[in-house]
Amino acid sequence: MAKIPITLQINRERHEALVEPDRTLLDVLRSDLGLTGTKTNCLDAECGVCTVLVDGLAVNSCLYLAVVAQDRAITTIEGLAPAGTLHPLQRAFVESGAVQCGYCIPGMILAAKAYLDDHPQPSEAQIREALAGNLCRCTGYQKIVDAVLAAANCMTAEKVAL
Amino acid sequence: MSGASRVVSRSLARIDAPGKVTGTAVYAADFALPGMLYGKIFRSAEPHARLVRLDTTRAAAIAGVRAVISAADGPDVRYGAAVKDEPVFASDIVRYVGQPVAAVAAVTLEAAEAALAAIEAVCEPLPRVLDLAAALAPGAPLVHEGWQTYTAIPILQRDGNVCNRARIVVGDVERGWAEADQVFEHRFTTAMVHQGYTEPRAAVAAWDSSGQVTVWSNTQLPFDVQATLADILAIAPSKVRVIVPGVGGGFGGKLRVGVEHFAALLARRAGRPVKVMTTSEEELTAAYPRQGTIIELKTGVTLDGRLTARQGRIYFDTGAFAGSGPGVASVATMVLAGPYRTPNLHLEGYAVYTNKTNCGSYRAPSGPQANFAVESQMDIIADALGIDPLELRLRNIVREGDEGPTGQVLSAVGLEECLRRAAEAIGWRDRRPAPGRGKGLAIGWWTTTGGSSGVYVKINPDGTVALNTGAVEIGTAALTGAAQVLAEALGVDLADVTVVSGDTFSTPFDFGAQGSRTAFAVGNACRAAAAELQRKLFALAAAQLGAPEEALALHDKHVVGPGGRVSLAELARQSQVAGGGMIAHGTFIAPATAYDTKRVEGHVYPAFHSPSFHAHAVDLSVDAETGEVAIHKYVVAQDVGFALNPTYIEGQIEGGVAQGLGQTLSEEIVYRDGRVLNANLTDYKMPTTLDVPRVESILVEHPGRVGPFGAKGVGEPPNIEPPAAVANAIAAAVGARISSLPITAEKIVLTQRAGSG
Repeated sequence: MAKIPITLQINRERHEALVEPDRTLLDVLRSDLGLTGTKTNCLDAECGVCTVLVDGLAVNSCLYLAVVAQDRAITTIEGLAPAGTLHPLQRAFVESGAVQCGYCIPGMILAAKAYLDDHPQPSEAQIREALAGNLCRCTGYQKIVDAVLAAANCMTAEKVAL
Repeated sequence: MSGASRVVSRSLARIDAPGKVTGTAVYAADFALPGMLYGKIFRSAEPHARLVRLDTTRAAAIAGVRAVISAADGPDVRYGAAVKDEPVFASDIVRYVGQPVAAVAAVTLEAAEAALAAIEAVCEPLPRVLDLAAALAPGAPLVHEGWQTYTAIPILQRDGNVCNRARIVVGDVERGWAEADQVFEHRFTTAMVHQGYTEPRAAVAAWDSSGQVTVWSNTQLPFDVQATLADILAIAPSKVRVIVPGVGGGFGGKLRVGVEHFAALLARRAGRPVKVMTTSEEELTAAYPRQGTIIELKTGVTLDGRLTARQGRIYFDTGAFAGSGPGVASVATMVLAGPYRTPNLHLEGYAVYTNKTNCGSYRAPSGPQANFAVESQMDIIADALGIDPLELRLRNIVREGDEGPTGQVLSAVGLEECLRRAAEAIGWRDRRPAPGRGKGLAIGWWTTTGGSSGVYVKINPDGTVALNTGAVEIGTAALTGAAQVLAEALGVDLADVTVVSGDTFSTPFDFGAQGSRTAFAVGNACRAAAAELQRKLFALAAAQLGAPEEALALHDKHVVGPGGRVSLAELARQSQVAGGGMIAHGTFIAPATAYDTKRVEGHVYPAFHSPSFHAHAVDLSVDAETGEVAIHKYVVAQDVGFALNPTYIEGQIEGGVAQGLGQTLSEEIVYRDGRVLNANLTDYKMPTTLDVPRVESILVEHPGRVGPFGAKGVGEPPNIEPPAAVANAIAAAVGARISSLPITAEKIVLTQRAGSG
């Protein structure tokens, strides 16, 4: 299959890549760029561990073609906060005990980020709806939902303080 | 413990959380090496057949393919935890759809997949054994004609398709039936279910020029995998190094060798590193899921609700190879006894071969199935006798000093407190608050698995502490718990402790992440190491402080004497100058639990060590039209002995209940004619955020005698009671007694219709 040159904007950095038209964004992120914070599992958009942000929207990168990501702003877990710092969501996940094995967590945090950007003060039911595409087998979701609620409160408070 | 604790019993954040939330933590699935090839497995498409021809020549010729191996390439070895019955590749006979027949490695995954498609296998079907009834029928075809030739644990009771029959006999059930006013007999069934870890099983193997292979895998038992790989590869264990980078959930599904051997064999053949990782389809057709079961339970009671006898048989559909079946069948008999005083018992667990995938261990193996039967029947009995289910349980539960089913003496029994507090929290007095709404209870007991643990603990010259353990962190925060025990014992903060784990070359032995044992056993090994370090620190400090060692104490990162103190950092520096560093080796093995050997047969797990006790209570509604279950409240009261870190114990409870609810309401690996119909995550229905209710955790603390600060194993128990608790609540809500898992909405509606028709 003929390869196509593409330019990807990942975590505010420009990356050149030469990809087959059927390569997924997930594969390019993990295999070509070494960004393994984006996880791989079902490859069928059922589990959500591969969630990344494309122009601020949460997508399953396992079914998202790399060529379609051309010129779009992609955020992976590695780019959510400057190195050495934690985004309020990351901090809330740590402090709420929402992390167990952690394999679903990057996708979970990014799905929550996309939702909170549009819904800064969500109810618990809204958070559960927003995260329904992200499977977690360890936590029973309770502390994850609590973490997102805590992060929403924290982010709202920070905005008010500004 | 004297005074307030510094580190233990506090809900401190787990030590590996920052890496996990930033994506920097490396899991086995993320691991890669330069020049690495991708391995794939060619699997049987037949449930039971003679493999008459295997042609891999076209596959080997595909561009980019670097290795193709099958049984013809050897080694001719069978492996298995209890029965050595499983070959690496099927040679003459295939025994389930999904059994490995060949493997390929190629420079890309696409080339490897193309190679699989080019492999030709010609099979002649053999008579199939597709379920328990077929396997146990008189004259049934044998899944293993040569079963008698296999090496097995000597005590196993094997016969044809039965790869173990474990038995507990106490008293005389005939006398028990005679003493009973009523005898109840029921049959229950449960479905095959998958652990559902989100990270696929993955391994990367690389050989070096000295003939040593290093395998990076997400196994829960690196030392077990090391031993198995040494057998399979026919090399010394010291030539196999297993390193566990990180594990994305295991729940028992990543105990035994899974893809590591394929990676190692392909890498040896290709002369390059090879990575093998499973797909969801492979997980749901060829992994180590929880066995489906049939349970027959007969219980005698007096009119005032006293249990007089119980006879139980549980049959495990363990698939084409014994896997964990023989042990699971043993544990099941302990669960069938229940946490009840019953003078006469005759309990049997059967592990049965069928032409399905090889089943394994899944969080509290046998627990949910056996408990579903026991606790469902307790409610049936209560209703029949007109006794409140809570009251019936209170009249029969074990208490301090009672005997377990095999004669072990029970101590630190917090069961009554669990039961009363769970019932109180769910509002038991109002058991049927509205039409279609009901509450259910279930109780159980479980073991804290033994096995030894070793740790090296080093005090660094900056006063921080390095914990080196062969244990594996699979997500439970058990190693955070162990680090808390260590920090407490040394008088330092949790933030001072760093952990290196899971490397068979450089870490001490550990029995592995299984059986709710890690925080318990590694925690105790840490205490032993801390005691040794204290001796060394005091010996070094005594002269400097001008005080005898007996007058010294560890406090706030210092050795403190009557006239002064010296920091751990300073002592570590001194030790580096003159003593080779401040380091200790701590070990732990749980003491044997005494039991009556005459009561058991074919039993590989005849006592529950440091047993835990628990009660679950649920309040739910059933939709009158659709049969859909809505859970309003779920309460768990669990006797954890001592809560090392309450937040992560709650996490175990919340997660265990969620998995349990999946098994209860929606999950099933559906086989038809020997094939899985739903081998994808669309059709294998695990609970989402919309399906799992909030869980109220009540941590009951009756400290045990062995665990660190009295702690008991906490990881597996929360998975045991959900099926029975929910089944009992559904029965209370709508009068429909569902005796097969999963309890789908469809089953509820059909049972109601049958009842009213």
